[in-house]
Amino acid sequence: MRTLLVWMAGGLTSAALTPVALANGWNMPVGVTALSRDIYSLHMIIFWICVVIGVIVFGAMFYSLFRYRHSRGAKAATFHEHTSVEVIWTAIPLLILVGMAVPATATLKNMYDTSEADLDIMVTGQQWRWRYEYLGEDVAFTSNLGTSREQISGADEKGEHYLLEVDEPLVLPVGQKVRLLLTSDDVIHSWWVPDLAVKQDAIPGFVNENWVRIEEPGIYRGQCAELCGKDHAFMPVVVEAVEQERFDEWLVERKQAAAQAAAGVDREWSMEELMERGEQVYGAVCASCHQPDGSGNPPVFPALAGNQPMLDDLDWHVDTVVNGVSGAAMPAFRSTLNAVEIAAVVTYERNAWGNESGDSVQPSEIAERLADQSE
Amino acid sequence: MASHLPPKPTPQHSTATAGGMAEAEHPRPSGLMRWLLTTNHKEIGSLYLIFSLTMFFIGGIFALVVRAELFQPGLQLVRPEFFNQMTTMHGLIMVFGAIMPAFVGLANWMVPLQIGAPDMALPRLNNFSFWLLPVAFTLLLSTLLMPGGGPNFGWTFYAPLSTTYAPPSTTFFILSLHIAGISSILGAINIIATILNLRAPGMRMMDMPLFVWTWLITAFLLIAVMPVLAGVITMMLMDINFGTSFFNAAGGGDPVLFQHLFWFFGHPEVYIMILPAFGIVSAIIPTFSRKRLFGYASMVYATA
Repeated sequence: MRTLLVWMAGGLTSAALTPVALANGWNMPVGVTALSRDIYSLHMIIFWICVVIGVIVFGAMFYSLFRYRHSRGAKAATFHEHTSVEVIWTAIPLLILVGMAVPATATLKNMYDTSEADLDIMVTGQQWRWRYEYLGEDVAFTSNLGTSREQISGADEKGEHYLLEVDEPLVLPVGQKVRLLLTSDDVIHSWWVPDLAVKQDAIPGFVNENWVRIEEPGIYRGQCAELCGKDHAFMPVVVEAVEQERFDEWLVERKQAAAQAAAGVDREWSMEELMERGEQVYGAVCASCHQPDGSGNPPVFPALAGNQPMLDDLDWHVDTVVNGVSGAAMPAFRSTLNAVEIAAVVTYERNAWGNESGDSVQPSEIAERLADQSE
Repeated sequence: MASHLPPKPTPQHSTATAGGMAEAEHPRPSGLMRWLLTTNHKEIGSLYLIFSLTMFFIGGIFALVVRAELFQPGLQLVRPEFFNQMTTMHGLIMVFGAIMPAFVGLANWMVPLQIGAPDMALPRLNNFSFWLLPVAFTLLLSTLLMPGGGPNFGWTFYAPLSTTYAPPSTTFFILSLHIAGISSILGAINIIATILNLRAPGMRMMDMPLFVWTWLITAFLLIAVMPVLAGVITMMLMDINFGTSFFNAAGGGDPVLFQHLFWFFGHPEVYIMILPAFGIVSAIIPTFSRKRLFGYASMVYATA
């Protein structure tokens, strides 16, 4: 009797926990697109089918375990074959599976329809950040982790959106069909935002497609969902959905900001200016592999502090930053960083952490080199 | 049926306790050499089970490191690069070092007993396939001490994270997986040979216990898919060391090809790890409920 009570208590607890789980956001989010609602209702249909099957199967099992136990003098039956029973309990799951496949296929078909998009965004995964390019709009930027190193190491209190915040979110207009074209510069990443019901692999050498039509303005957060190396946990996705007018304003602001950043290529930069800018760029882009103190993580990520071959050969140093190292983890930064940033970061690397080359590179030299290369 | 029996076990042998005659005929080495040279299926079965338990604890310790780090948000105990090595090694060791050898060990113990055979069909091969495993896993574990650390790309080791962007020790990881794979294939050959040739006179296939059936299917699966795994890791080896571009998009290769090849192995691997367990359940439940298994024939068809 006590055993039965334990079972009943267990069954009741799990039944009671279901609404609690649904109310506490432990369930899959409903999301903010028509497609995400379809996917949510698919999820719930299949969830309840599983609950019903589970109750029937485990109910029958626990009942017979209890009712026909040895201590009550139960004697085992002698039958051991029954063709029609076996046919029936094979046919029923088959029908359930077909029944689940019908609505699932309809949703899948809709998911794959990327035609007639209003806006195309190229999403490029890089170790360990996302790069967004608004095709036809001449707007492109990199979205880095916004959480500070101090929060990660525990020196600072963790913020509300710990590891789910970026320096520059992907801004999208609501009500528009946005087509996402996903690829990668290095390893396989996966762009995942639960509220948009999008999880799509970004694979080097491939362009995968997906689409969203966001219905409510807001900030939607996600993460990289394919193990992509050391900082896989530190490359979140943040999407800011805004009204169309705000989006148009933002595009204009964004273009102006890009023009401003590119300005200053022609003027002479002082050592202090380059070092200051270089430190920012290094912290955002280089430090995850080469470490904030330049000590690297040999043998995969070489140390930059005290790296004599690098200090001896300025030209090789610039070339490595611009074009990367083929067959190794070092990416090419010619399309990710502008001339000012490349000049600043190279100068910084040659004069920080006890490196005392004393030499510097001017943004104009880098711009010239980039222009030569693209010819 | 007698014509199907191999010539070696004479009627005398089959009535004796398994391995009993061998003890009478040969001097029996003691100490370490006894275990190193044993051809007795029960001793080899015990070796497999002890090895599997050891690996289970090592893989379990790695899992504890992972969970301890995740006990609260932020970096506590280990660096991200070491964390990834722990998750990867945990997966590899549990799959290839704990679960698979545990079932081979149970097969070594139970299959000859359940079909009335004096031993496995190929006892020396049996010894060899076991002793490959400690070599493979010593090599795999030693990568943790190499410069750049051990495998850090997940137990599915998707390229190009496991090729172009992998630590230098990856070549050793590939070699150790090759050795473990050879061990699995040899073990599977032995089990198939035993089940097909050494059944007691009069025992038909449909008379075999379900554990024997599930292991027969598992062994065929192993022979079908372990070579695919060997192929895919050899392609990785070529990409890393010999300048090929199987999985390198920049050289015209295809990272998705890796996933297709890997899961051609990986999907059957799931059944390799669960089928023998189904067989065990099908033996335990009828025993303790004192009732013959319901639907033996359809269980066999479902397994096959």
